[in-house]
Amino acid sequence: MIKSQERVAFMEFKSKYIAPVGADGVYVINTGDWRTIRPVLNQDKCIKCGICFMYCPVNSIVKEDGKFIIKYDYCKGCGICAHECKSDAIVMVQEAEK
Amino acid sequence: MNIVDKLSSKEDMISPGISACIGCNVELTLRTCMKVLGPNTILAVPPGCMGGVGVVGWDMMTGANCPVFFPLLDNPASMLAGIKLYYERIGRKVNVVAFAGDGATVDAGFQCLSGAAERGDKIIYICYDNEGYMNTGYQRSSATSKYSWTSTTPVSIEGRGGKKEHKKDFPMIMAMHDIAYMATCSPAFIQDMVRKVEKAMEKQEEGLAYIHVFNPCLTGWGIKSEESIEVSRLSVETNFFPLYEVIDGQFKINKEYRNPKPVKDYLSKIKKYSHLNKEEIKEIQEIVDEKWDRLKKLASL
Amino acid sequence: MQEFDVINGNKAAAIAAALVNPDIIAAYPITPQTPVVEYLTQFAADGILKSTMSEVESELSAMSVLTGASLAGARTFTATSSQGLSLMYEPYFRASTLRLPIVMAIVNREMISPQTVWGGPQDSISVRDAGWLQIYVEDNQEILDMIIQAFKIAENEDVLLPINICYDGFYLSHMTEKVFIPEQEKVAKFIGKYEPEHIILDPERPMAVDPLTNGDLLMEYRYKHLLSQQKALKVIDDVDKEFEYLFGRSYGGLIEEYRMNDAETAILVMGSMTGAAKEAVDIKRKEGIKIGLIKIRALRPFPKERIIKSLDKVKAFGVVDRNVSFGWNTGVVYQEIKSALYESGKAVPSIPFIGGLGGEDLTVNMMMESVDRINSIKKNHSTVWLTESNGGEA
Repeated sequence: MIKSQERVAFMEFKSKYIAPVGADGVYVINTGDWRTIRPVLNQDKCIKCGICFMYCPVNSIVKEDGKFIIKYDYCKGCGICAHECKSDAIVMVQEAEK
Repeated sequence: MNIVDKLSSKEDMISPGISACIGCNVELTLRTCMKVLGPNTILAVPPGCMGGVGVVGWDMMTGANCPVFFPLLDNPASMLAGIKLYYERIGRKVNVVAFAGDGATVDAGFQCLSGAAERGDKIIYICYDNEGYMNTGYQRSSATSKYSWTSTTPVSIEGRGGKKEHKKDFPMIMAMHDIAYMATCSPAFIQDMVRKVEKAMEKQEEGLAYIHVFNPCLTGWGIKSEESIEVSRLSVETNFFPLYEVIDGQFKINKEYRNPKPVKDYLSKIKKYSHLNKEEIKEIQEIVDEKWDRLKKLASL
Repeated sequence: MQEFDVINGNKAAAIAAALVNPDIIAAYPITPQTPVVEYLTQFAADGILKSTMSEVESELSAMSVLTGASLAGARTFTATSSQGLSLMYEPYFRASTLRLPIVMAIVNREMISPQTVWGGPQDSISVRDAGWLQIYVEDNQEILDMIIQAFKIAENEDVLLPINICYDGFYLSHMTEKVFIPEQEKVAKFIGKYEPEHIILDPERPMAVDPLTNGDLLMEYRYKHLLSQQKALKVIDDVDKEFEYLFGRSYGGLIEEYRMNDAETAILVMGSMTGAAKEAVDIKRKEGIKIGLIKIRALRPFPKERIIKSLDKVKAFGVVDRNVSFGWNTGVVYQEIKSALYESGKAVPSIPFIGGLGGEDLTVNMMMESVDRINSIKKNHSTVWLTESNGGEA
């Protein structure tokens, strides 16, 4: 096994592996940064059908204590949830000025 | 348990942040299928959209919580066959799954898939059909539908063109291999998709289980991101892409509409068909009707 | 298994595989390798071979099934020839850069075109830069012994690279010779178990295999790969010595030196032509010519140091190539030997020979003619093509 201390003058090993493997954690992109509009859910209008949850491509809508909540960490602002909602409970609003 | 609670209770096996296009329904398909398949899965993602967005990872990091790898474009089915043969030999049950685009399935990877189907290798093969090589700039594949604009079948300045050849009916080809299970899915019908992935997990004990998902590509076809699911639904409601299963040779149609919508309702929402004239739309309607007719006859056998 | 049998090269290869009992074998028939697949399936049906066999639909699939199985942790084996080797080139290159110790016998056959099925190492030589180890053998006993040794070399923790054992199509694959067959228990003890840590597809140890990689990291992987090929130089020699201790046969390791101790000139050969060359050397020695022979066994990694040492005292040498190097007007092995000698600083006269292509014989007469030429040159000579009509100049 190539030891990680083996180096030559010009090269310091970045990786302890000899074969191309990805074993140092999960690669996560901050896709929440992408959006220009965000969905806002009105709980009073929500009929809890779960359609927004089922169709969210990034898994950003979760069911907690019987209610559906939108998490914004990875939401890209695609608008599918607002478009599919049967009771007009979700509207897309402009991202707040930072 | 209803579908919402079932999916709620499952772990998301894919990295939460991957660079798929905004509203991509392939990302939705992948996350949903992986929730059903679970952590005891080895996932093969050949070069294509899902590979390119980071599902296999970058440098020394992975993109999924289960083992995931890049097969070559032309051999996902064979690599998975090798993996499954070894796990069978040592007596361990593992889901061995390919999540491949139409490029890797219908074009380059067809030979290996056909061989694996004939040998009855016990793998699950899920094809996401976005009608082209979308990751590299929307080039045509043999799964691209007729008259589609693609970067290699463009529309001329006069406004005529698009792909001259018609769409290879790949689900039918796989059904004719007499494999253990064949099913078509749409991201607009999540409950149906979940049921079919579960059926594939059961049927993989007997041989190859194949699922063909129809994914309208937002960026490549020109569809508004919020209409991602609506357009997918229209593809089924117009019979452009019928939902059916083939179990042990028996065809079964899952969604039948008494009055299917005209195919132009579907085409009108997609920019890659915007150059079509009346004759071309009529021809597409005829193709759709013929294929539906053939499917009905097979289902009645 | 009996103590010895009279068998052809393909059966020797199949028996070697049956002695090792790898986990997965996936092979596609191609002349002259076909009998290997036939013997393997017969052995499997008879219960002698315990491997799982997959009858794939092309060589592309064969190497794909094996790279998949090897990633899952399996020990794997296959065999192929020319057109099959080129068809599987895509996963073939990957097997070495993923560091999978797959063992593949190549039954050397000329590359088409012209249309041919006959023996010659052009096929495996054309892929020598794909990162695999390559060893070329002289007779059927060596085929059997080297396939067993191949597993031990490839799976060594300093190496972890796939390996080709190459033998001439028809000359060895279809000719029968007496071959000693070692006991299966001794073989099993010699090669031990394969338990990979460096790369694995297993839900109990989840990792990504082969993510998209940036250039600086890719350079690092290539550096480590080259280093492992260099470490393989010693491993090949060591395994040869260990095999001799356990089974009583040695082949010299990276190269075999025949009557080189007091040689003034040398002839370098590779593969089954060695038999005719050794006979020519013996005849010429009786005439008083102090010729020696070097048989190149390992082409990859290239045995630079051993070649330099072996050729240290000669005043001229010749290389008989059963292949061509398109673009150099000589054979390939000649170029590699010249390259090695550049470092020694000793530029003695040399002469390249090309012969035996496409199934043409390399006869004892041709070898004797070559020895005469080697002994007559005072400076570098152009390529001599060895044909029946004898001695056409390049």
